[in-house]
Amino acid sequence: MLKYSLKRILQGLLTVLLIATVVFLLMRMLPTDYYFTEEQQMKFTDEQKEAALAAAGLTDPIGEQLLDFYWDLLHLDFGESRRIQSGVSVVDVIGEKFTISMRMGVISLAISLGLGVLLGIGQTIGKDRLVDHIGTAYTVFVNAVPALVSYSLVLVIGSRVFGLPSVYSSRSNTALSMVLPIICISLSSIAGYALWTRRYMVDEITKDYIKLGKVKGLSTSQIMVRHVLRNAFVPLAQYLPASFLLTISGSLLAERFFSVPGMGPLLTDAIGRYDLNVVQTLVILYGSLGVLGVFLGDVLMMLIDPRISLTGKGGGAR
Amino acid sequence: MKNSVKRLLALATASAMLVGSLSACGGSSDSGTDDTTSGGSSASSESGDSSVSGAVAVSTVNMDDSADAIEDLVLYETTAREVESLNVLYSQSATDFYVSTNLQDGLLTNDEYGNLKANLAESWEHNDDSTVWTFYLRQDAYWVDSNGDAQAQITAEDFVTGLEWVLNAYKNEASNTSMPIEMIAGASEYYEMTAAMTEEEALALTNEDFMEVVGISTPDEFTVEYTLLASKTYFDTVATYACLYPAPTALLEQLTEESDVATAVETFRSCTYTNMWYSGPYILTYFVSKSEKVFEPNLYWWGNDEYTRFNSVTVKMVDDMDVAFTLYESGDIDQVTLSESNLTIIYNNESNQWYDYLTEQQPTKYSYQFHLCYNKNTEDGEPDTNWNTAVANENFRLALYYGLDLTNYYKRTNAINPLKCENNFYTMSGLIYTSDGTDYTTLVKDLLGLGDYNGESMVRLDTTLAEQYKEAAMEELSALGVTFPVEIDYYIASGSSTAQDSADVLADAISDGLGDDFVVLNIKTYVSSLSTEVRTPKLASIYTNGWGADYGDPQNYLGQETFGNDNAYYSVYYSCINDFYGEDGEEPYSEELIATYEEYTALVEAADAIVDDLDARYAAYAEAEAYLLEHALVIPCNYSISWQLTCVNDYSKINAMYGIQNNRYLNWETNANGYTTADYEAFAAAYATGNTSEAE
Amino acid sequence: MSNENVKTVTVDETVNEDELFHFVPYSAEQAEAIGYSDYSYWGSVLKNFLKNKVAVTLAILFIALFIFSFIALAIGKYNFAELKTDTTMAFISPNSEYWFGTDNLGRDYWCQVWYASQTSIKLAALVAVGECALGVTIGLIWGYIRSADRFFTELYNLINNIPTIIYMTLIALLVGRSFIIMAVSMILIGWLTMARNVRNLVIMYRDREYNLASRCLGTPLGRILAKNILPYLISVIILRLSLSIPSTISLESTLSYLGLGLDNDTPSLGILLRDARNYFLNYPYLLIFPAVIVSIITVTFYLVGNAFSDAADPRNHV
Repeated sequence: MLKYSLKRILQGLLTVLLIATVVFLLMRMLPTDYYFTEEQQMKFTDEQKEAALAAAGLTDPIGEQLLDFYWDLLHLDFGESRRIQSGVSVVDVIGEKFTISMRMGVISLAISLGLGVLLGIGQTIGKDRLVDHIGTAYTVFVNAVPALVSYSLVLVIGSRVFGLPSVYSSRSNTALSMVLPIICISLSSIAGYALWTRRYMVDEITKDYIKLGKVKGLSTSQIMVRHVLRNAFVPLAQYLPASFLLTISGSLLAERFFSVPGMGPLLTDAIGRYDLNVVQTLVILYGSLGVLGVFLGDVLMMLIDPRISLTGKGGGAR
Repeated sequence: MKNSVKRLLALATASAMLVGSLSACGGSSDSGTDDTTSGGSSASSESGDSSVSGAVAVSTVNMDDSADAIEDLVLYETTAREVESLNVLYSQSATDFYVSTNLQDGLLTNDEYGNLKANLAESWEHNDDSTVWTFYLRQDAYWVDSNGDAQAQITAEDFVTGLEWVLNAYKNEASNTSMPIEMIAGASEYYEMTAAMTEEEALALTNEDFMEVVGISTPDEFTVEYTLLASKTYFDTVATYACLYPAPTALLEQLTEESDVATAVETFRSCTYTNMWYSGPYILTYFVSKSEKVFEPNLYWWGNDEYTRFNSVTVKMVDDMDVAFTLYESGDIDQVTLSESNLTIIYNNESNQWYDYLTEQQPTKYSYQFHLCYNKNTEDGEPDTNWNTAVANENFRLALYYGLDLTNYYKRTNAINPLKCENNFYTMSGLIYTSDGTDYTTLVKDLLGLGDYNGESMVRLDTTLAEQYKEAAMEELSALGVTFPVEIDYYIASGSSTAQDSADVLADAISDGLGDDFVVLNIKTYVSSLSTEVRTPKLASIYTNGWGADYGDPQNYLGQETFGNDNAYYSVYYSCINDFYGEDGEEPYSEELIATYEEYTALVEAADAIVDDLDARYAAYAEAEAYLLEHALVIPCNYSISWQLTCVNDYSKINAMYGIQNNRYLNWETNANGYTTADYEAFAAAYATGNTSEAE
Repeated sequence: MSNENVKTVTVDETVNEDELFHFVPYSAEQAEAIGYSDYSYWGSVLKNFLKNKVAVTLAILFIALFIFSFIALAIGKYNFAELKTDTTMAFISPNSEYWFGTDNLGRDYWCQVWYASQTSIKLAALVAVGECALGVTIGLIWGYIRSADRFFTELYNLINNIPTIIYMTLIALLVGRSFIIMAVSMILIGWLTMARNVRNLVIMYRDREYNLASRCLGTPLGRILAKNILPYLISVIILRLSLSIPSTISLESTLSYLGLGLDNDTPSLGILLRDARNYFLNYPYLLIFPAVIVSIITVTFYLVGNAFSDAADPRNHV
């Protein structure tokens, strides 16, 4: 197990490096003109552009740039932001934002996991009865109405009817101003967890061993919690660590909507402003967390369901 | 700890002064040195006070007598307009200047009519041919740190440091160099010299080295003198712009002592609100990117008695104007510009609670034009002969000039008074006044024989003339093999529904005004960069583009359209008329077009040569501008005038058409209950009379 | 049908118990019939599906909607290609002239909505089918063949960990934007989720005893995948497929919001929703019409997908 873990982590590092390299190269496929704002395009002469590019090391041959990049990476030097916050180190730019996103993300993950799984169990127990229909209606509603619309509804109802702040405030009333964005983020993930919990549980409930359990006289709650839920939770568990880690990345739409200064819009902003260091660092960060999440997911899955083996040489074609 | 820092600062200050007096050794007097010592010591003693009692004692934020005046102002910005750099010397972006103009002072500023006004310079003068400009600095201005403690006096030396910073290729990375290089003697040489050096050599250069090369000197501690390449009658207007701002010499020295020059330069260039030094009326006390900024008064600022300031100004970042509108409705912010939809909704319903509070903004400082491309390519890179031949024909252009009814297009920005957005000039109105207070654009208007604003239809619209020109153009161009309708490729940013709607309206205006048998507008999109995706490959037939002045002279506008000039921005990037210039120039589609451009260029050059009589200069420029427009080489489009709900009287704000002084939160009149439409009409009327009386 | 039977039985019961059971004479034909099952997988699926009245109704409604979108464009008073802007006609509520009212520029909304519906349906369908084909194929190989696991996990990590927005920006900048490019790039990114879902289930099933037995009997790989494992996956695949349609529509609207969506001469429901967002408080019909159509599409696919996946589960077949 330890050996396997080490191997996976090493592989993960390699993957991250590969991702970083691919993004590095992809971003350099863009014409260098994107480096400048429209205003700079307007007032910069060609020499000025050349000078600015040279100052950022963008005129070097691509191989050399890549080596520099690896070298900095080795020293954990992620460079400075170019245009998001000019000259501020990328680590600081991200550091300021990620706690905000993560705080909201973790709260909403807890809410949606709790409510979602509960709803899913309720739906399974009360299959084809009122609970199930309500749950299904909710899932359908959330999935059917595009986020842009449902967020607008939350915004309007929340601010007009309940008088909640419609814009995130970092100085006063922070907790209160987080309510609406958290509701928005949770809306769809509650539905997601409920949907898959129900799906897997219903799949499980038709299996023969459940019938056996019933025959043996186990109570519904024993069957549900000890057998059905545990088995149904296996495929869900796979995604949990990743969802937890990636709360860091925030929600693009919700954060834009409520002007939360979090990580969500950072990546699009950075791409839009051609802020290479920020883009690369973010991708490396998300990549690492993603890879780690998948690994932890596999481990969790193995722990919950002993039948699954990732290391054994047992079955399967080679 | 704090004491030792103070001592160090005092030392740094003193040494800065020393360098200053040395460098000006020729003309420097003993009194200058005395001032230095007293200035330095007073700075440190005052900073000692402030840590104890400064906050209350020095604060004299006295607002209007009106009980309704707002003391803690809250404004909004859209997140796309977040600050990128707080370094006023390094930034070139108007969005950044909106913030930093409150944090730093320049030599001069403007008043609410745009007239020049003393700022760090108490007075200024120039020699007979306007080649040497002298600014006399006030002696009660200080640099303060982010705690609001005074650190050093602002002296002439700081202006030398500032300009050196701008022109040193390794320090400012070529930002803001264009105007100094164009105007100040030796600036270009100094920039080239540093660019050719290694980083180490360039950073080792001192202010003395700099002054040997560049036309700047400090006759005494509080006097700065600029020597120009040629006569520039308008150089004082440049003194409101970022490129001539001072840099805190003492801070740079202090940073250098703490580590090394390279690190110091890096730190100063990418200053944050906590490590920068302030010279302006406000200090940034809170700043979370994309969320909130809080400005509080700089208690050591020299203008405390002269200006009123707010107790605090908070700027909230929101995603779009609709969010801002909900914030205004809930009383969270004090001003909101209305989107077209919100304006229409309020305006169409008299019982709407905001109906009486709709107020019209002043025009922004941009004059929008339709720029025609004379050397367009198709998407496969071949010349678009059909368009190029058509646009080279003057009758074709004049048909566009007279035939376009843009009323609906203007409604996009101003649904209530669309015709106020009509622009018939190339130069922005309100930029330049003649000695008798006449707006320069009035001269152009008289030359063009245009009527007055009547609120009913566009002034220049003339359908009969347009029809004549259209027929003539179709006849002439058909003979040249042009196929009709001529396709006009027009590019907008993708994903912007506002731009898409405007373009749709424009397409319909063209179709209604000129007929589908003549021209048709193709709306196309670019993803990220207009210049890279459209301008460089020359894909667009026309552009709508606004130009805001860098300095107060028609040359800044008209010079951009001259023929064969590499610095003429529009000739190089938009009209591409310069492609037909010079030895390896391409074959023009019409000799007549080139002749027209040459004539225009000659008129501009003649006007620029007049330096002794400003009125004559402006008259000559007006003639060139009239020529440009009569031949429809460019077609004026619009001004941007929006509507808003506001608690701030815009007419009390600084309103300059050039420089970076607008949006200083000084002397703003406010009314916590919001201004009504009637209030604003009264302000506008008073403003209109106020300006002429002042000029006379 | 089934109701009637039940009724008859109950009536019979009360009348005469003896008549309920009686001896049947031996019939060679019927004896054969019992020994031979005419079970057809897809036949049962269809039969089970047809029992779900709601789903069938919705499916018909959707097909009707799609067909109607063509009729609607034909019978509408305005032609999409010839719409004129006229701000004096802006925001006219639905009436006999403008059946769906007019938008902010006074253009007929009816033809815009139906034109957009066609675009969205075509895009979503294309993407869903593409994702499914690619995702299932790769998922099966990925899950079953151990030696391929490493490669596909790496590929998955690489693609999945580079944020979609980077791909979309680069594709938009370097390749261009059109309906086909949009569809292809969404497929190329969307297959991952499907493949991973399939892979996880395959891992769960591949080492079950009956598969071991199959392998021992020398069943070829393709047959094991197609006959032993795939049927277990079909319910999940169909659910995934039906969820991909709403998520395509939603992703498309988010991309449009960011300026990376479809070109402006092919409006989609996402674009209409995005634009209507600004006006819906005062002119709700601008939001309602596209939102209702989006909802019909997504609800249909969700419920039909659910019903179909229930029907597709072999354990529900008798």
